[in-house]
Amino acid sequence: MSWHKIRLVLWREFRFNFKRPSFLFTAIGLPALMIGVMFLMFQSTSSRETDLSKFQTVGYIDRADVIVQDEIDDSEITYQPVTAPDLAPPASDASDEARAAYFDALEEAATQQVIDGTIDAYFVVTDQYVLSGQIDLYTRRKVPQALYGEIDDFMRTQIAALAPADLPVPHDRIREDPEITIRDLDSNDELSETALVGRFILPFVFVLVYVMATNTTAQFLMNGVVEEKENRLMEILATSLRPLELLWGKLLGLGALSLTQVALWLAAGLIIMQVNDDAREFISGVTFRAGDLALIAVLFLINFTLYAAIMLGIGASVTAETESRQFAGIFTFVTVTPLMLLVTFFENPNGVVPIFFTFFPFTAATGLILRMGITTLPTWQILLSLGIQIGSVLLVMWLAAKVFRLGMLMYGKPLTPRALWRALREGRVTLTTATDEVPQRRTKTRKGWLRR
Amino acid sequence: MTPSSHDHAISVQHVTKRYGNFTAVDDFSFDVRAGEIFAMLGPNGAGKTTTIRMILDILKPDTGTVHVLGGPITEAAKERIGYLPEERGLYRNVPVIEVLTYLGQLKGMSQHEAERRATELLHHVDLGDFIKSKVSELSKGMQQKVQIIATILHRPELVIIDEPFAGLDPVNTQVVKDLLYEMNREGMTIVMSTHQMHQIEEMADRLVMISHGRRVLYGSVQEVRERFAQNAVIVEGEGDWSRLDGVSAVEVHDNGREALLRLAEGVTPDQIMQAAAIGQDYHLRRFELAVPSLNQIFIEVAGGNNVNGGR
Repeated sequence: MSWHKIRLVLWREFRFNFKRPSFLFTAIGLPALMIGVMFLMFQSTSSRETDLSKFQTVGYIDRADVIVQDEIDDSEITYQPVTAPDLAPPASDASDEARAAYFDALEEAATQQVIDGTIDAYFVVTDQYVLSGQIDLYTRRKVPQALYGEIDDFMRTQIAALAPADLPVPHDRIREDPEITIRDLDSNDELSETALVGRFILPFVFVLVYVMATNTTAQFLMNGVVEEKENRLMEILATSLRPLELLWGKLLGLGALSLTQVALWLAAGLIIMQVNDDAREFISGVTFRAGDLALIAVLFLINFTLYAAIMLGIGASVTAETESRQFAGIFTFVTVTPLMLLVTFFENPNGVVPIFFTFFPFTAATGLILRMGITTLPTWQILLSLGIQIGSVLLVMWLAAKVFRLGMLMYGKPLTPRALWRALREGRVTLTTATDEVPQRRTKTRKGWLRR
Repeated sequence: MTPSSHDHAISVQHVTKRYGNFTAVDDFSFDVRAGEIFAMLGPNGAGKTTTIRMILDILKPDTGTVHVLGGPITEAAKERIGYLPEERGLYRNVPVIEVLTYLGQLKGMSQHEAERRATELLHHVDLGDFIKSKVSELSKGMQQKVQIIATILHRPELVIIDEPFAGLDPVNTQVVKDLLYEMNREGMTIVMSTHQMHQIEEMADRLVMISHGRRVLYGSVQEVRERFAQNAVIVEGEGDWSRLDGVSAVEVHDNGREALLRLAEGVTPDQIMQAAAIGQDYHLRRFELAVPSLNQIFIEVAGGNNVNGGR
């Protein structure tokens, strides 16, 4: 293969597609529009949330030893102390260290219970609660305003039950609402309300952007192949360079374009973060780590190659652009299925459906990223998903190269799966005829049979 | 004497290509001599495109050999070939100069060289004002000229053009024809596949005709025409042609100005010319062999009346 020719095709594909109005719109206009719409949606809905149906059971850990009754009047929520079968409560004369160790272990158990879905959230009444009113709330769900009110009522009831004789509670303490801080389940970092909303919206935005970056450029690739077939340029190209040189040039050119698109979005994101505190807080809610970002970069390359190879195969096997769009639509639909079932991911990121999407080749990247944005994934799941994706991309690229060679010069008739299967079985994948010679003769013969 | 393979720009020997049970090209052989204008003709679906694709290494023959520019085709040899397929187009939303430069670079030219030569050729065919126009903004004839330029841009030694004059008006046909003659004078071998027989008669040195995948005619244009010549002459002048010795029948054409004299068996045109020349009652203004046009030969052969394997 000639690198010089691959480079020529690469540069041509990159330059031509970069100037397309549809690329400029996708790269710049659409994300801006999307972020704007989401921000407005967030602004208008987040503070008015009253639905407590997602918080049926809330656990608590009472480090301050102030909770005396679980049931309060008119509450929609069931409160229960967090317990762990293998943890024995410390004795009344236990040291402070022993008590702290017990509560720390209890918090770990509570975190697991939230992940498992046994409880919907838990809060920790901190050691200094009586003085500070500090409560830490842990959940994976978006916290409605009503929950704050419910916890306020719950804590007020406890203090009212104890005061005034049992505890040296300042008088004002009874009147004031507790200070509720939402904390990250995994890192224990404080999350503002904005950051918590960001946690739910950002994985969605991230995956949407990811799908757009891979699919739009992969579809440019497909459109390019269809155009070259439609206007017969493919035949001239076939006498100027090897099919694999053309294929790699296109893949790399559009891969570079896709990366450019992502780079533009990242740059825009960084600029917004620099100038806007709310945006920085919003983004801080996401649970991606530095290692995750490296993994996402790898996933991006694999996923782009996978879709580009699929689109290349579609482009080479169809006869017209409209036909190619129909096939491409099917694959795009499959890719965005995890986004359509987003609620399932948020409700239980370790459920059957999210796990299926993590391992299904065409949704593995999006499924994985969505779950990574919401929860911490076991390493084996990441490795298995990655393995499935690498295997799939190798298989699809091999097949796409065969389809490309077979179909690139077929005009007027699509490459049928049967013809492809026959060629693969016979091990005879070569460029084939594009003229009307074969169909004409076959039609004639068929008519002859009919006459007989 | 058969020329050696070194004198041949193309040598196709006993090539067969099948698609399943269908034989597209069947034991087909011909040579194209270096520096000549060669025509490949045949009815639709005869196997021309398949043959061209085998020459260009797009398809592999099932049997037989194809040598191009002195040997089996290589990637380097492909850069010495220009090819223009029958149904063609270019990147539509790209400026003409960019398309040509890209295609030239793929054929091994530097960017600067491709741009310079493309500009020169565009001016040569009166498209100098459209260098930066998008291909989609050009008329069909203009696009056709751009496509011809794309084919010869890299100064190929061999050019294979399918229907070079399709879609061109008479003026542009002449422009393209002159361009091809010019390139041919510089040593470029031209293989044309066309249905415009008068263009072949005018331009081609030799031809091969393929029908049902097999060779049915092969040789110089003049030889082929003479092979199909009837034993008859065409005359213009005055006299009672039926009374000439050796004339078996007379057909008057063209409002009586021209007559086709069919000759009796064993009688040659020379004898008729001699008889007319010495006859007192005859005045000759024109005397020529009744050689059919290539168009007539094509219809006769393609119609299946003379499938005898050529020469």
